[in-house]
Amino acid sequence: MLLRQHVYLIAVSTGIALAVGLPLGVLVTRRPAWRRPVLGLANVFQTVPSLALFGLLIPVFGIGAWTAITALVVYALLPIVRNTYAGITGVDPAVRDAGRGMGMTDTELLRMVELPLAAGVILAGVRVAVVVSVGVATIAAAIGAGGLGVYIFRGVATVDNTLILAGAVPAALLALLADGLLGLAERKLVWRPR
Amino acid sequence: MAAAVRYRALGALALAALVGCGRSERIVVGAKNFTESDLLAEIVAQQIERRTGLAVERRLHLGGTFVCHQAITAGQIDLYVEYTGTAFTAILKQPPLSDPDSVFRFVAAEYPRRFGLRWTAPFGFNNTFAILVRRADAQRDGLTAISDLARVAPQWRAGFGYEFLERADGFPGLARVYGLKFSAPPTSMDLGLTYRALADSNLDVIAGNSTDGQIEALHLVALADDRHYFPPYQAAPVVRAVVLERYPKLAAALAELGGRISDDEMRRLNALADVQHRDISEIARDWLAARLP
Repeated sequence: MLLRQHVYLIAVSTGIALAVGLPLGVLVTRRPAWRRPVLGLANVFQTVPSLALFGLLIPVFGIGAWTAITALVVYALLPIVRNTYAGITGVDPAVRDAGRGMGMTDTELLRMVELPLAAGVILAGVRVAVVVSVGVATIAAAIGAGGLGVYIFRGVATVDNTLILAGAVPAALLALLADGLLGLAERKLVWRPR
Repeated sequence: MAAAVRYRALGALALAALVGCGRSERIVVGAKNFTESDLLAEIVAQQIERRTGLAVERRLHLGGTFVCHQAITAGQIDLYVEYTGTAFTAILKQPPLSDPDSVFRFVAAEYPRRFGLRWTAPFGFNNTFAILVRRADAQRDGLTAISDLARVAPQWRAGFGYEFLERADGFPGLARVYGLKFSAPPTSMDLGLTYRALADSNLDVIAGNSTDGQIEALHLVALADDRHYFPPYQAAPVVRAVVLERYPKLAAALAELGGRISDDEMRRLNALADVQHRDISEIARDWLAARLP
């Protein structure tokens, strides 16, 4: 039950972070002037302690899953945006010029050249975001959103190491599992020169 | 070259002396992770410093009851402020009892025997659990006591900190004694965040502490414990017995603090820290200067 809540929090928040972070990352490659404010903001979010963020979000989202998900999205944005930007700007300019020379529009260039070549770097960012989320999601228990953190918080409140481990060990395994699966996806999806 | 070596040797000596002194002549004062515990620890620390001249190391905001208890029984801290009712139910695992004197006598007798710890004189106030609701709700529904709550509970949402949900003198017993049934099982969350959630109408009932400075500031009221469910929670320093024996002046310094802080006084001090955001070492210094010159 708590494990399912935990997975739900991570799945929804990662989905939203991808939906927001990927376009943002692409945007900053097209509008260099936006790079500093966007990455700067994502950096700032990253440094806000999670309990403080929860306190700030209560008046907006109340207590429960949505506040936790919002916080998780905020933390997952930086690695996704930054790696999307880094991946695309890392594409060899000669390859990009070749695409343009073949008459590709900007959208085609993005879809057929830049994104496939940047996929490895972007997925690496997603992996970081997911693994971090598994850990941060344990703090969701402070805001009544459930998850494996409930065991940890109850264990800390009563100094019961068994309870703490009942939350911490599955969370660690979950992080390893998610990282492994994404690694597998990376190998399948990413084009590599032979 | 020779001078450099000499300086380095001097430095090493000074360091050794410092570390040596620190080890033997230092009282380590701990506190739980909330304002009142930090404040009382700071008052105790400054009182020890000015009355005995001993060095005090502060290890404030450590964690909950159990963390502090483990730290003091392991000798990592020498002193922290504990509440009689908490020691009675949570540490000594006794069923909750409402007479303050018998609770104090029991813990004062059991602690030396079981843990080598001694209770010194209580500060005087009673910081019991307070069942808190918004003042506007209490006026609208005519709530003054916890037993009035049973009437409205089926439509209300409750949220509590993890410790209150787990403790023998916490929620399960409260719900039984008062026959409380809420619209859903209480939300379990961080204690500090429950205040904000109540003030923002995301919850309708929480369990706070009766001496909390936030109660006034957030327009909340505490419902009376009309069936005397909560045990008394008198605060007093708990000290390792060996430390009291080693430093005879310590007991006198702590005895001076006995009976000096009333409920209102404690609420006022907590509000200075939580509502006016004054520095706790400053609050402690001012209070000691005014009340125990």
